[in-house]
This record gives sequence, C-alpha cells and structure tokens, in this order.
Amino acid sequence: MKYYDLITPEGTKDLLFGECVARRRIETTLMETFRSRGYKEVITPGLEFYDVFNLNSPYFPQENMYKLTDAKGRLLVMRPDSTMPIARIVATRLRDAALPLKLCYCQTVYRTEPALKGRSDETAQAGIELIGSDLRIADLEVISTAIDSLKALGMEFSLELGHIGIFKSLVSQLEATPKEKERIRRLIENKNFPALNDMLDTFGSSAVTGALKKLPSLFGGEEVFEKAEALIPDETALAFLDELHGIYTAACELCGKDGKITVDLGLVNKTDYYTGLIIKGYLQGHGDEVISGGRYDKLISEFGCDVPAVGFAVYINAIQKVHEKNGILPAEEAADVLVFAEEGFEVEGLKKAQELREQGLHVEMALMSDAESAKEYAIERKIARIAVVNEESEEAE
Amino acid sequence: MERPIRIALTKGRLEKDTVGLFESLGFDCTAVRDKGRKLILPIPDGNMEVVLAKANDVITYVEHGVCDLGVVGKDTIMEMRGKFFEMVDLGFGRCKFALAAKKGTDFYSGYGIKTIATKYPNVARTFFEKKGMDTEIIKIEGSVELAPLLELADGIVDIVETGTTLKENGLEVIEDVAPISARLIANTVSLKMRQAEIEKLIKMIEEKLR
Repeated sequence: MKYYDLITPEGTKDLLFGECVARRRIETTLMETFRSRGYKEVITPGLEFYDVFNLNSPYFPQENMYKLTDAKGRLLVMRPDSTMPIARIVATRLRDAALPLKLCYCQTVYRTEPALKGRSDETAQAGIELIGSDLRIADLEVISTAIDSLKALGMEFSLELGHIGIFKSLVSQLEATPKEKERIRRLIENKNFPALNDMLDTFGSSAVTGALKKLPSLFGGEEVFEKAEALIPDETALAFLDELHGIYTAACELCGKDGKITVDLGLVNKTDYYTGLIIKGYLQGHGDEVISGGRYDKLISEFGCDVPAVGFAVYINAIQKVHEKNGILPAEEAADVLVFAEEGFEVEGLKKAQELREQGLHVEMALMSDAESAKEYAIERKIARIAVVNEESEEAE
Repeated sequence: MERPIRIALTKGRLEKDTVGLFESLGFDCTAVRDKGRKLILPIPDGNMEVVLAKANDVITYVEHGVCDLGVVGKDTIMEMRGKFFEMVDLGFGRCKFALAAKKGTDFYSGYGIKTIATKYPNVARTFFEKKGMDTEIIKIEGSVELAPLLELADGIVDIVETGTTLKENGLEVIEDVAPISARLIANTVSLKMRQAEIEKLIKMIEEKLR
C-alpha cells in the first residue's frame, strides 16, 4: 500500500506554467547581469561528498543537510550551498588558472528547514564568486553587481553593508572564552539588547564593552559612522570602520536613486566564514533577506589553496514570492497559431507549422480529429489563429 | 502610503500589559480595548495596528515579516527560537522556568536516565544537554504537575510564577532554569526598512520603562 505517491516531500513544490516563466525570467535577468560583467558560469553536482561541507569551521550544521550514501557506503549530501563546491573547483581544476576568476552559478540548494514554517527545503540561488583579489575594487565590483542585479529585478530595494573586522577586533580584546565570544556574537546578531547587556556586564565596564553593547544599534545611513567613531576605542576596529565608510560612500554613488544603501555594524553572521565586507539585500514587503554575501578570504584555503574571495547569492524563490505578491507575474504564454491538419494531410500540417515557426511565431499542432474540437481547444487555450491544412488549405481567425 | 506598523500581541495578560504601556505613552487604544471579535485593530494616532495572536503565532508572523513587531514571552522565544531581533525586555509577565520534582526526592541521584514531562521540550532538552545529561523527555499538553504524581516522570520543566500549584501538589523546585519576561521582538527586515518609526517607538518604550 502506497501513501506518498500523490504528494511531494515537505518543503518542495512543483512549479507550473506561469510560475516557471517567472522563475526562468528571474534567472535569465540575473545571469545576464552577471555575464555582461564577465562572470563565467559553472554548474556543480547536486550530490557532493559530505567532506566538502564538513570543514574545520562548521559553516553548515550537519542536521541541516540532506544526507545519503553512494554505492560504496560513502556519505554524500544534497548540495546545501554553491560556494563550497566552487571553492573545491578553484582549489583543484582551476588551481593554475590566472587570477582573478569571475565565476557565477544558478542552481538549486537543499537544506532541511523546520517543518510547518512555510519555508522551502529546495531553493534556487544565483550568485557570483570573485576569486583571487583582496583589493577594494573587488569589493566594489561585487557591490556594484549586487546593485545592478537588484535594479534589473525592478523593485524597491535596500542593500546593507557591514564589516566583520569591527566586531572581531573589539571582541578579541575581551578576556573571554571562545564559547563566550560566540554567545556575544549571537546576541549581537539577534540584536538581543537585554541579554547582551547582561552578558557584557560580567566583563566589567570598559570602552570595549561599551562599544560592543552599542554595536547592534549602529545601523542606518551616514550618521552611523559618526556615532561609531565616537564609540570605538580600538585602532584596528577604527581602520575597518574607515574602510567600510569608504565603501559605503562609493556604493551610495553607484546606487543612485533606485535603491537605498545602508550599513549595520551589528551584521556579524557566520564570523568564521566572513573575513571582511558583509552584504545583505532586502526588498520592500519581504520579511527576510533576498541577497546575502561578503568576503571570505579563508574559505578556499580549507581546500588547500590560499586565495581571497568575495561574492553573494540571490535567493530566487524569495524574489519570485515578492513578484507574485506585487502582481508582477508574467502572463501564461499562449501560442500564436494552432495548425489543424485534416486526416491525410498530417505531413503538410507539420510542415506548415514549421514554416510559421520560422517566421518567429509560436505554433501548436492540433491533436484532434475534427475541426470543431480544434476550434474549442484554441478558444480554451486563448490561441487567436487557426490554420487548417486540407485540400484547399484555408486560415481562420 | 505604507501600511501602518503592525504589532502582534500575545493574547491575554501580555496583551493587557502592552495596551496599558501604550496608553501610558499616550496612544489611543480604544479600538483594542473594545475589540469584540476583531483580530486586527488600529491604533490610529500611532500609525500602528495591533494583531492579536497566540504566543507561538506571534513569532511566526514576525519571522515572516507580515507583522513588524511582536510582544511575546521569553518562554515562547526559548521554546520556538527563530530569526528575529529581540529588542526590549518589557519587564512585565515576569516568572521563571524551573525544574521541579516530588518534594523530598534527590533528583540528581543515581545513574538511571531521568524522565522529564514538559510543555517545553526544547527548553528542557537544552537545559539537560548543557549539563551533559541524557534524559527522556515527554511532551504533555495540560497540567504537567500530574506527570510526576502519576509516576510517568521523575521531574517537570515548567513555568513557575508563585509556586503555589507546585506546593499544592506536593512538588518543589529543584533548580531554576531561566528567568522569563515579555519581550518586544522585531522582524529583521522591517527594522531596517522602517527604522525611523520603529526606533522612535522603542525609544518611547525604553524611556517609560526606565
């Protein structure tokens, strides 16, 4: 007795017709944006060895990965992310390639999300990885690509920048265990002000704890830098702040009026992954980020090849949801012509359809035996023209 | 015109306390007080609207960004977790999570695996995981105090306010797990997209609480 033959697993869904058109249109828009800037596409396997994602730093909790075994009993995962596989490629097949490398991808990733939360386990992501440059121009190139991507998607957006170095150099001055530092980081990431204050009070009162307490509230526009300069007691952190300020000013100039550039010094997600700039993108009316990225100079060295890298991923499903919410849905595409071939004229009919297609039309063959049902079908599918192929070959609107 | 800032309130006591707080800030909460059966209610002079929901749903609505802010107990946050900013400790709805067992038992003695009954399995699991203790956790929906009395469980992890219910059933607190109070939470994107409005409201609240 089968139970599950009529449904799809939790967190997955079928896309039909207009939904596919919408999805492909977003993918094409993004990939065209990337390609026009010189990014070359890579496609990585949907299945990878678990080891690719089980690195020294636990970027991906094992419980969030779909796991299976190959025929030899080795542990595999359904790719939970595209950056690790790309880092693997860079460290192997592209080891001797001239740097910098500009790579892009557009593929699905798989992560187990909590059930019944309205989240998808299978999501599509398009993104870029700029490998082999740690220069400011590389950061700006990536930000500029993110801005162009959001502009091309045609919605009001906000791109947020942060710099992990500020938090890292502040917290390094606390005499805290790695566990405590991680807890401080998590409290800052969650902007959990009450618990953060309590936690930092246990380290006594100093300029450093004062700055850390304020870090999650330092978000917004230009005014943030002035406030932060007054608060941050540490030279290294100030240098990172200055670097971020420069990038912010440049990004504002690049962005123009179509979107907003903001900063958040409390962006401290995945500290052992990011090493500098952090990027997040938001769209009006969507409760979660639609772009996430930053600089990760240490990641590829986990695969034995020490090169800096910076990049971001766009969450296509989220963008599609916002498009649907705002009624930016492509119409289902109806064919232009329906060709109905009478019995005995099938070959002529198929040839006629091909002729019309060569003129650039979308042409469907009618697959019924009488003209009346062909006409009904055309009305049902909103096809404006019928071409009948028989002895005298006529055409009707 | 953007929609008003939407705040999800946990129905019941936290809702009343929050309305009290808003009124003390000078907001007109008449519509919330005379709500009838409506679930979305305007606070016209604050360009806000209130959504009344069960505690877990407050987190769900805020996480998805269909509500910008929420008022929910730390108990629910600890059990549900999720992605949102935990901005303000509102100070009301104070109580605690505690581990309790039958009066007079030495809970931690022996090597047998303890069975814990609770409405908050994640809170209980995390508490014992931190101690490196394997436990068997059984989820109970109603009065958790029954479980040790019926000898289904060795102890319970539950919300304790005054301790009267425990005492009347011959139970006592073995150890406090965590303090609880109401929190103001914010959707991670709303806080950024509507920073000025939300920061203004939070500032008013913090000044009132001080």
